[in-house]
Amino acid sequence: MQLHYDAETEKFRAELREWLAENQPTVAEMRAEPTTSSAHLTSWARRWQRRLFDAGLLVPGWPPELGGRNLPPVQQLVYHEEMARIPVMRTNNPQGLGIIAPSIHDYGSDFLKQKYLVPTLRAEIAWCLGMSEPGAGSDLAGLSTRAEVHDDHFVVSGQKIWTSGAHHADHCFCFVRTDPDAPKHRGISVVIIDMKAPGIRVRPLPDLLDRDHVDFNEVFFDGVVVPRDHLVGPLNQGWSISAGSLAHERGMMWLSSAAQLDGNLERMFRLARERGPDGKRIGEDAVFRDALASLYVDAQAIWFMGYRGFAKFAKGNISPEHSVLKLFGSEVAQRAARVASEAQGVDALEVDFHGWGHDASSDELPWSLRYLQTYGATISAGASEIQRNIIAQRVLGLPRR
Amino acid sequence: MDFEITPEQQQLVESVRAVLGRECPTALVRDIVENGSAPEQPWKSARELGWTAIDVPEAHGGLELGFAALGLVIEQHGYFIAPGPFLASVTQFLPLVREAGSAAQLARFAAPAAAGELTGALAIDHGCAAEHALGDALRARRDGSAWILDGERHAVLDGDRADEIAVAARVDEGDGVGLFVVPQGAAKAQRVVSLDASRPLAHLRLDGVRVEPERVLGTPGASARALGRALEHATVAAALECVGTCQSLMERTVEYAKQRRQFDQPIGAFQAIQHKCADMFVQVEKARATGYFAMMALAEDDPRRALGASMAKAAASDCQRLVCKEGIQIHGGMGYTWESDVQLFVKRAKTLEALFGTGTQHRKRIADLLEI
Repeated sequence: MQLHYDAETEKFRAELREWLAENQPTVAEMRAEPTTSSAHLTSWARRWQRRLFDAGLLVPGWPPELGGRNLPPVQQLVYHEEMARIPVMRTNNPQGLGIIAPSIHDYGSDFLKQKYLVPTLRAEIAWCLGMSEPGAGSDLAGLSTRAEVHDDHFVVSGQKIWTSGAHHADHCFCFVRTDPDAPKHRGISVVIIDMKAPGIRVRPLPDLLDRDHVDFNEVFFDGVVVPRDHLVGPLNQGWSISAGSLAHERGMMWLSSAAQLDGNLERMFRLARERGPDGKRIGEDAVFRDALASLYVDAQAIWFMGYRGFAKFAKGNISPEHSVLKLFGSEVAQRAARVASEAQGVDALEVDFHGWGHDASSDELPWSLRYLQTYGATISAGASEIQRNIIAQRVLGLPRR
Repeated sequence: MDFEITPEQQQLVESVRAVLGRECPTALVRDIVENGSAPEQPWKSARELGWTAIDVPEAHGGLELGFAALGLVIEQHGYFIAPGPFLASVTQFLPLVREAGSAAQLARFAAPAAAGELTGALAIDHGCAAEHALGDALRARRDGSAWILDGERHAVLDGDRADEIAVAARVDEGDGVGLFVVPQGAAKAQRVVSLDASRPLAHLRLDGVRVEPERVLGTPGASARALGRALEHATVAAALECVGTCQSLMERTVEYAKQRRQFDQPIGAFQAIQHKCADMFVQVEKARATGYFAMMALAEDDPRRALGASMAKAAASDCQRLVCKEGIQIHGGMGYTWESDVQLFVKRAKTLEALFGTGTQHRKRIADLLEI
């Protein structure tokens, strides 16, 4: 047990910081061409990800030919700490890099790896992830988008929803039902669908923050033909890919959530110095002080819990710590934004904001909208209720109904 | 950054669990509560196995294993709601002597305390312990080379039975803090009827108690730093004992939810119960991780130690509040009875919440440290 990293790890951190300072996109660059969805690869976003790839700093645990440098787990942790603290995401297609690339790497045929893996890593192509459906949200295994199996192709019909960036994506990594007669977990497969294929219709689904803010979509498939060689992994084994894929995502995802929350707390420390609705300094209010101190403890605890679970994460396993971090982190973030928004009183009701995008402008996002935005994290990727079920049943061993 | 318990520490934890599991069943604690018994165990084992010497330098007869090892042992004491002098003597008295004592005083007080031959207590002002401050209730004034103590101290754990009591008193000079060691009997000690009888508190009255120079720790008026550092140890130890107690109560509660059947199924199959259990788990994990951070910050003398100590106490506070509430609630009517052991764990946790500053007081301290 120790709080400090060894000298070699700190040396890597220093080198990384230097590299990032020289290579990360400028705020001016990002503002000139804002990214508007999680599959929107603007020219600066493509250049940035390519630079990371070439430097072996995109997926540092992987070998150089896949954008890495075979870093040991502790240095990967430091890498993610540093990447979470700069005002630009390491990719503008997080599902492509975080979920789909590792899944193709782990489960894809040589043909698929050849065709998609390196282009994805180099930000030459963007992805969306076809998982949720109108009738299959928390109960994902109940999905009903059908893929009829033919000798050399599939025919896909059905509907996906909450498909982030589908309007910008080149391909969809899509979970489909290939055996309607098998038990629900055993009839699912994964196929890669070209988003330009005939029979696909994409309908934008703006979120509650702003009618013009589109990341989600509904995606309708009507007799879409998919070549047989675009099946990922064995037929009807898609469910295990979903578990594996999400493990990749969650292993390090807590770091960016924790860093985002730290950013919000920094903003709250600044808010504390401003005047509240009663004309007094917000930070003088005993209730606000108590709430902010409590949030600080919780935000720090997320890091400590993440570090405690890290050894397990490094092995790529889904561990209970993921559920704890996801549940707790998203709820703390929600509480933070609520406390800040309430402290502003009527000032929180002015929401003239147009700076959407994954760039530094998010500093200006009003607290009331930031609060509403936090519901994204308590609902998506396994709602808080699902995380509580997982903890109760898989960690504490309480009976399933 | 490494939050993993080392194999040596894990071995220590397992041996402590084995000993306490054998020697400290809840029946032993209940016997203290119901009959006022004073069992020899588990203190005798703690002494013989050297747990009392874990965080004491080798030069003073200690094992020098560091505060992290001691913290893990304390957490297990909480798990088994172990009674006895361990918490007060090893995590309250000893740190103050270590921080403020001269070599001669270390030889006189710390070495025998490390060997378990002497027990100690710590008399501070719990009401402002979170701020590392002292109120006016106990004052010390010079009398030649000696000092005279006048006033009182509340809620002194083991205050009526420890051999020696380290006392923090207000002085009219310098930083206002004086530290002294008085033998049992120098103060009028009155045992109070304590919420947790296995953590017995005493009220101390000091009427003109004269303290000779060899019992004055450090320099009165220049002792605030030593007091603060010792309080950080005591605070983190209380937080970790609380985490252990909460872990235990959570496990008992989950086990009960698996056994207890209503409507033809275990109540633990109901989502309402499952979600309460999941929330308990999250709070225990949070408090443990935060407690371990503070424990390492103290072990390494990291600059974040003060903040860490307050965070650990605040997190333990959140944890006990939820685990005690749901622990009783999920046990239903049984949880409301004297016969159920739930009450023993709840009372231990509530006692630890109040000692060395409540969660609310530590959050205030955190806000001050962060300059909110």
